[in-house]
Amino acid sequence: MGSGRALLMLTNFKIKPSFSFASSSLKPFPPIIRNNLRTLNFSAKTRSSLQPPDLPRLAETARISLAPNEVEEFAPKIRQVVGWFGQLQAVDLDNVEPAIRADTEGGNLREDVPETFENKEGLIASVPSYEEPYIKVPKVLNKE
Amino acid sequence: MLSTIQPPRYLSRFPLRRRTKCRSLHILSSAEPLTKTSLTDQSQILSIRELLLSRQLSAVELTHSYLDRLKQTEPHIKCFLHVSDSGKVLKQAQEIDDKIKRNEEVGPLAGVPVAIKDNICTADMPSTGGSHILEGYRPPFDATSVKRLKDLGAIVVGKTNLDEFGMGSTTEASAFKVTANPWDLSRVPGGSSGGSAASVSARQCAVSLGSDTGGSVRQPASFCGVVGLKPTYGRVSRFGLMAYASSLDVIGCFGSTVADTGILLHAISGHDSLDATSSKREVPDFTTQFTSASSLKSRPLEGLRVGLIRETVDAGVDSGVKSTIQGAAAHLEQLGCILKEVSLPSFSLGLPAYYILASSESSSNLSRYDGVRYGNQASSDELNALYEESRAKGFGSEVKMRILMGTYALSAGYYDAYYKRAQQVRTIIRKSFKAALVENDILISPAAPSAAYKIGEKKNDPLAMYAGDIMTVNVNLAGLPALVLPCGFVEGGAVGLPVGLQMIGAAFDEEKLLKVGHIFEQTLQGYNFIPPLISNGAFA
Repeated sequence: MGSGRALLMLTNFKIKPSFSFASSSLKPFPPIIRNNLRTLNFSAKTRSSLQPPDLPRLAETARISLAPNEVEEFAPKIRQVVGWFGQLQAVDLDNVEPAIRADTEGGNLREDVPETFENKEGLIASVPSYEEPYIKVPKVLNKE
Repeated sequence: MLSTIQPPRYLSRFPLRRRTKCRSLHILSSAEPLTKTSLTDQSQILSIRELLLSRQLSAVELTHSYLDRLKQTEPHIKCFLHVSDSGKVLKQAQEIDDKIKRNEEVGPLAGVPVAIKDNICTADMPSTGGSHILEGYRPPFDATSVKRLKDLGAIVVGKTNLDEFGMGSTTEASAFKVTANPWDLSRVPGGSSGGSAASVSARQCAVSLGSDTGGSVRQPASFCGVVGLKPTYGRVSRFGLMAYASSLDVIGCFGSTVADTGILLHAISGHDSLDATSSKREVPDFTTQFTSASSLKSRPLEGLRVGLIRETVDAGVDSGVKSTIQGAAAHLEQLGCILKEVSLPSFSLGLPAYYILASSESSSNLSRYDGVRYGNQASSDELNALYEESRAKGFGSEVKMRILMGTYALSAGYYDAYYKRAQQVRTIIRKSFKAALVENDILISPAAPSAAYKIGEKKNDPLAMYAGDIMTVNVNLAGLPALVLPCGFVEGGAVGLPVGLQMIGAAFDEEKLLKVGHIFEQTLQGYNFIPPLISNGAFA
């Protein structure tokens, strides 16, 4: 990714999305209605000011190679869904703590003592390419 | 085999719903256990136990009858990705019979045929997660929930079909096959635990395990006319469940009665040192409260405060579903409940928040499938290409899309805009449910905005499919328990399509849900929730 692009991404993030959100309480959003999805109004206020997804770059990050027809097929769908995600931008979330999970019932760590897994043969039997005692992979190339 | 044994007649207590022509229901051979017991209406598990311990039936005979029905219905319904070798299964049944003959104790689930969703690891059977990337994979361990079921004597009859890695609401995203809804073979069974729901509905097994990340137990339960129970997050160990979204996933139970799901839940619940998110809370005995309808007093739920979530019966919900839910609400009122409408204004935010969290977490969780230590490996002469090709070949489109969306949402600079905001929405939703569950004992809603739709109907429109999860995702975000049980029908198929009522409880309060659900079910008159394809003996 060129440095110019990186800069653009960073700049986008220095500015907090600047649309006003008048009421102090959450505006109820209409329920997602299957037949009315096309008429759902994504005004400029609610649309995200973030860069749209760059599919080839995402695919590289996710280590999935995409065929050109897949890029063509997925791009509009992903853009549509990510645009839909953008409605969260308009919600007033100041002073709301993010929740990692539903219930934070901590203190569930076990003793830091190694335990032996009984079925090592089963584990190794699943390895596609094994040359005792190595799990074999092809060479690692350093990408420029 | 079946024809030599007198079929039960108890279902004449439930006349077919009035809208359809009355079929003669005197042959119910394949539908239920081979002899009626006083417990049949309440629980298959208890009925099986009574049959076996009283020696009226042997475990081998019982297993044969389920396996026969499975074999006959499978080509039409396609619930299973792997069916256990019948020799092995009958041997397990024989061992139970031998123990009973020797008057030895057998576990509470002895001889109960159970199916397991294929994203739950079973050491002696393939576990594919519905994906090509794990085709042929045999885990070196059992999931904790599977181990607990086996220890109590349950017989695992096979692994059921699902949307790949739990991502989907129809089983159409399975890499291998599409399961059909036993109520109408041209319709979806729901998803992602479609196979588990359909196999219980078609009486191929007595109970089954599924997983619920955004409704994947509750929606198929509604579509297939069976009971689905989603426990509180942390109630059941996730060890051995192939992770989709770790903060949302739970293992859930399917049964044909509320009591069966309660008994199954009790068997698999409890702290597990192998799952750091599993709760240390004591597990109450869910099983002691299941009484028969005849012993209930006239208004057994007197004073129970029930809140109907207003946003779930708004525009966008099928009118047939709405009227069925209103009928269920009226039934609850007859039982003594105090019914109110409750508004949860943040309700609709749950859907985008859920999909952000789920895609993001899945993009991380599915990075382990790289073709190196397990799963199918593409040939390549360079490591990154190995990863890219193995994953490209092994994953289906829906999975790829969700990984890409999650990768986007978690990218540097985007985390605050998407993932963090979704987590904040989770806090808001959690708090709003908690407040509503102080004012009310339980909340109710439909489990889905419609009954089962046709196979292929939603395949190309992701947002349309996601929209169907609106009733269920908030419960996962809040980590709460929920029970879905069939409460009526809408038009469609041969005799109508079942509709499920969702009951939501406070955290770790499965006991209350099961109590209310059981009483609701036992007092509900006029409905037969056995699919006619099975009860007609079409596959006898």
